[in-house]
Amino acid sequence: MSERIPVASGLFADTKDGARLIGSRCASCKTPYFPKVEFCRHPECRASKIEDAGFGPDGTIWSCAIQDYPPPPPARFDKPYKPYAMAVVDLTDGLRVLGQIQTDDIRTVKPDTKVTLVIDTLCHDDAGNEVVTWKFRPVAG
Amino acid sequence: MRDVAVVGLGMHPWGKFPDKSVQQLCRVAVDAALKDAGVAWREIDAVAAASSRFSGGRGWGLNGNDVVDDMGATGIPVYNLSAGCAAGGNAFNIGTMLVASGQHDMVLVVGGEKMPKGFIQTSGVEETTDPEYLRQICIGVPGPTFWAFMCRRRMADHGTTEEQLAKIAVKARQIAVHNPNARFRKATTVEEVMGSALVSFPLRLFEICPVSDGAAAVVICSAEKARQLTTKPLWVAASAIATARFDDGIPRGLAGAVPADGKAYHSEAAAAVRKAMEKAAIGPDGIDLIELQDNTVFYELSFPEEWGFCKPGEAEHLLESGQTMPNGRLPINPSGGFISFGEATTAQGLFQICEVGWQLRGDAGERQVPNAKVGLAQTLGLGGNGSASILKR
Repeated sequence: MSERIPVASGLFADTKDGARLIGSRCASCKTPYFPKVEFCRHPECRASKIEDAGFGPDGTIWSCAIQDYPPPPPARFDKPYKPYAMAVVDLTDGLRVLGQIQTDDIRTVKPDTKVTLVIDTLCHDDAGNEVVTWKFRPVAG
Repeated sequence: MRDVAVVGLGMHPWGKFPDKSVQQLCRVAVDAALKDAGVAWREIDAVAAASSRFSGGRGWGLNGNDVVDDMGATGIPVYNLSAGCAAGGNAFNIGTMLVASGQHDMVLVVGGEKMPKGFIQTSGVEETTDPEYLRQICIGVPGPTFWAFMCRRRMADHGTTEEQLAKIAVKARQIAVHNPNARFRKATTVEEVMGSALVSFPLRLFEICPVSDGAAAVVICSAEKARQLTTKPLWVAASAIATARFDDGIPRGLAGAVPADGKAYHSEAAAAVRKAMEKAAIGPDGIDLIELQDNTVFYELSFPEEWGFCKPGEAEHLLESGQTMPNGRLPINPSGGFISFGEATTAQGLFQICEVGWQLRGDAGERQVPNAKVGLAQTLGLGGNGSASILKR
């Protein structure tokens, strides 16, 4: 039976309140990190106090692009290749993060659009399992 | 610190040379630079070389040692310098310091590269601890897409059009017609550029530099040595390097913090350029031409603004009115740039020094910037490395 396999472990989770990216935040200087870090890297921070933090789901597209040509390895995608949209998203909790956009209409994705974090299919592996990653879905309004 | 003179410039043309080794390319560039300087190999006191991860260097980035062995091992010190695509610029910086500090009188700076086919994978590490690797496997964002993000934001902020992006490529190729060292020497049109394949919307194939093979070398020396060689040396007004700041807003890995000022810019490039201008006591008004790292046409719009050469949103106007051509108010990439040469990664910084040098000597032929006295060269590389050098005559 096919399974849903995360593309990499420990990066995201589906919670009862929706999808979350799993990272860290420094309790001293409030800097957000994704993925997790052991120590705060902000050069002005005097006392690293790293705590676990979840990020998302609400954000706004800072900028976006379309992957018109198939990306070289190690990127993974199903064949035949279908271009997809990607964005740099500013989450309301202070994290600027990259992700694919979940949409049927990749050409209409625009900067400054509100989005929400989702867990969605990236591709399928050789055994037919669904490989999942985080993406952003445009929301109305 | 001592004054540093530039007395020798040499280049192997850029292109694809499947039958030549990187050593052969470097040999041509080094021989040309030595001949231009009027200096014999045995007179070179030290070598500063750009380290490559793609060619030569015995897998350790020992590209300077390759050159020394090939030219004839005289026992001189070799400084191999690794800084991603900024390595050539950073090697030049190290070379100038070797002379300025009095450590060495006559230094060869060299970078040569044979590139594998296709778009390069910036990081060489395939581990989930590497942010670029994670970015590839989780999202599928290769290098050109990173540029597309920044470009798309500019379009939203300043109304930049796809035609304007195409015009930058047209301008580059129009100039390269006159540069025998360029790889793409045929003029193109807006229609042709717009008709080239979309790589990562909004960027098209002709708006992104491909990879090339090439090599360039420069001989630098003390003022005393320079006076023995020539009556018209060029001078290094300043050379500076920098690395990226934590808070510059450019998403280099999977994520960062939303920048406090909302701006995103290459802080390593801006810092290196501003530091060089400060050290040289020369402002944007005193610079007659810029060779900047145009991996994509977008940088010809963003960089001059980020460095204070024009106001935000003004770059499109400069382009449209022809001011960035060699005979314009702010000549940018009178060589034809990376767009016309392609990127032989670690050699790029020295290709720029050669072009700025030829421009300042008045040897640039049909692409000559009239009466050029001061020129700026800038590179950018993986790891957040930036370099900038200002030459004057």
